[in-house]
Amino acid sequence: MKRRDFLTKALIAGGTISLGIGCRNKIRVQSADKQPVPEPALTGLTGRTIEEPTRQIPVLAETDVLVIGGGPAGTAAAIAASRAGAETWLVERYNHLGGLWTGGLVLPLLSTHAVDRRNRRKQVIYGIGGEMAQRLKDLGMSISEVNPVVDPEAAKYVLDEMISESGVKMLYHAWATGAIMEENVIRGVFIESKSGRMAILAKIVVDCTGDGDIYHFAGEKYDMMNYHIGLVHRLGNIDRIKDPSALPDGLDLGSPTPVKSVNWVNMQGRRNQNGVDVLNLSKLQMDYRKEIWDKTQRIRSTPGFEEVFLVDTASQMGVRMSRILDGEYRLTLEDTMTFKAFPDVIGISGAWTTMMYKGRAVKPEERPYWQIPYRSLLPRSTENLIVAGRCFCFERDLVEDTRIIGTCLVTGHGAGAAAAIASKKGIRAREVNTKELKSLLTEQGAWLG
Amino acid sequence: MARIRFRTGPSDMRLISTLLAVLLALPFSWGIFTGFFLWFSPFIMLNSVLTHKSLVFLHTVAVAVLVTAFFRKRFFCIYLCPVGYPCDAISRVSPFKASYLKKFPDISRWIAVVSIVSAASGLPLFILLDPLAIFHGFFTSLSGNIELAGILALTGFPLLLALHYFFPNLWCGKLCPLGGLQNVAWDMRSYVQPVFSNDQKSSRSFSAGRRYLISAGAGVAAGFFLPKKINPEGGPFIRPPGSVAEDTFNTLCIRCGNCIRSCPTKILHQQIDASRIMCFMTPEVRFTKGYCLEECNLCSKVCPSGSISLFSPEDKKHIIMGMAEIELDKCWLSNNRECNRCLVSCRYDALCIGSGEEGSQALPHIDPELCTGCGACAVICPPEAIKMKPVKAKEKVNIYQ
Repeated sequence: MKRRDFLTKALIAGGTISLGIGCRNKIRVQSADKQPVPEPALTGLTGRTIEEPTRQIPVLAETDVLVIGGGPAGTAAAIAASRAGAETWLVERYNHLGGLWTGGLVLPLLSTHAVDRRNRRKQVIYGIGGEMAQRLKDLGMSISEVNPVVDPEAAKYVLDEMISESGVKMLYHAWATGAIMEENVIRGVFIESKSGRMAILAKIVVDCTGDGDIYHFAGEKYDMMNYHIGLVHRLGNIDRIKDPSALPDGLDLGSPTPVKSVNWVNMQGRRNQNGVDVLNLSKLQMDYRKEIWDKTQRIRSTPGFEEVFLVDTASQMGVRMSRILDGEYRLTLEDTMTFKAFPDVIGISGAWTTMMYKGRAVKPEERPYWQIPYRSLLPRSTENLIVAGRCFCFERDLVEDTRIIGTCLVTGHGAGAAAAIASKKGIRAREVNTKELKSLLTEQGAWLG
Repeated sequence: MARIRFRTGPSDMRLISTLLAVLLALPFSWGIFTGFFLWFSPFIMLNSVLTHKSLVFLHTVAVAVLVTAFFRKRFFCIYLCPVGYPCDAISRVSPFKASYLKKFPDISRWIAVVSIVSAASGLPLFILLDPLAIFHGFFTSLSGNIELAGILALTGFPLLLALHYFFPNLWCGKLCPLGGLQNVAWDMRSYVQPVFSNDQKSSRSFSAGRRYLISAGAGVAAGFFLPKKINPEGGPFIRPPGSVAEDTFNTLCIRCGNCIRSCPTKILHQQIDASRIMCFMTPEVRFTKGYCLEECNLCSKVCPSGSISLFSPEDKKHIIMGMAEIELDKCWLSNNRECNRCLVSCRYDALCIGSGEEGSQALPHIDPELCTGCGACAVICPPEAIKMKPVKAKEKVNIYQ
């Protein structure tokens, strides 16, 4: 064998051996998994229980449709049902309608617009919600066309006006505290107020409590979602500030409202909070109020900002999300991104924030409008109960779009119309003819695509 | 009754193969089959395996091609090569005669040997000359934005065709390292053939000639002495996940663009910055609309050169591409505007809003231990307050053992 022959072969052999050694190398990584944040359970229970004696409860009314919760969804539902000819009662725990929209000071009516199939951005929220927005605009009490910001007192007034015009029997200052069930059929709701415990019986009950209190009482299945809870406040005398840019970092004057001298200030708040834990809500309420007060004092102590004052903190905690119904159909993010058409569509809502879909960020200006099916408002087992507002059935990825005022107005309108049809015909809520429902909704001004 | 008989020759087979290669090179969602023909090249396989010192399953395809070359002379070129087919077609119509090329030496096997040996010592010198890489790079340029540098990137494959028009058969016959490697295998067939057959006639002794020795020596020298750190550490831009260190990347990457074409969220782009000529045509991550999906490892699966090392989707949370940086001045939460998009988009729990103690003005912050630089928060952030920054190669390197 020649020398160079040997050298070449030695090179090849050496290469092969080094390859063999090297091939054991693979990406190896250290695992450093973090513990997930535990979800806080209901705090402060003693563990003891006592038995409540049975008693006779007076029946306040027997009606066709009973709407629990006077937020955007409940108000729209009650107006829709009453206009469709059903006798309707509306029960609200506070002294005003509009819920978080007005009392919670979450003033923007979000998701009024979305992109249609021809890629044009247009208004999608019509019907009773659209009418409310229009009336506020006519009063000069809303700013901006897309996602208008309204004045809370004007909104309370307009909602009261629409409720009394449509003939709804209004009950303020009353809490729903239990469901009256016969097997799996809901017959009415217990309410608690200064006048004591009473019952309202109804053919159809619409759960617009936002937290899904009624389906919780009825024993339905649901998911619990903890989310940020905030507390909105308003600042006055904003127009007396000469140079708003002089405000130091970390302080904020919020965003304008239709009232010139008043701004509203949002709060992200603490994350992962239980919105149906009353002790938690109480603690947050006090902490937040103190924070807002302190912050306002810091603003007032800044030269040039002395006249700013705290108009009010919201009368309602900003619970963004709590219970999510496990209903007949779970609306998915994909449905909202693909113009999914449902045969039982009850309304269309729009988009206000960026969503991640299939690895791509889709901005609100590009997002399509999306249909909401009637089935998403129906619980699986309880009969004659319809759910509207932020607690209907959807997947969590969709929460930003389902929890906002616009969507609540749309689902409320759909639920109210369906309740009216079911009660008038004496059928179960589940059996409502979708064609009939859609024609009633269209008659009432809703847009169904 | 006349019997219909199909006779398929090498040419028909190669036509079918070429069409298939073009189809798989087009920017559709072929998944794992994206640019599959690159796996046929034993030249890329040997360069990659020797540089990277690791094997993946699909390398067996190229091994099979290489083994076949010991028994059938240049089997791949005759039956499969999608570059050879158009090159030969052009040669046939060329008005120039090949006669004056006879003097031109056949240097293909020396290119192959130099490159493979130098790869073993760390620098795959001529890996870019692989015809399949040039072929696929052409199609990648087609799928991207047409910019000046992009048009330059287009020229590799047309240049090959033009070469064949003016100098018929020059590339395939005398330059192509893929063909050269097969020639080497054919030269060495006497080592392999007797093992499988007793046909003594076909075997003949092979002597490693002086030229083999010289080219092997040149390869070793090149691997050791050529500057490996052609690019400064810590790329100025973000590489795909699992990319090898920057200096190796620029020499090992064959610029085929498989990763770019396979990326489901289309965040990979050809680097066409003229000022970074060493990185020309290599993949760069740009977070415009999409982000690097947490369960996806497609770019590492389709990379035939191993520049993007194969990793499992489970390991993805440990594979660092970059790091998020938040400009709090721009963040909506600084103005108490309603937003939690970054928090929701983060799949690795690397992003927090507030510590839970301060309530009203909770601002987002990044946990650098957990952030992989996937870009989800950056693309979803409505005020575009989050940017992804490349990390230093040193920090990235600790995931490789």
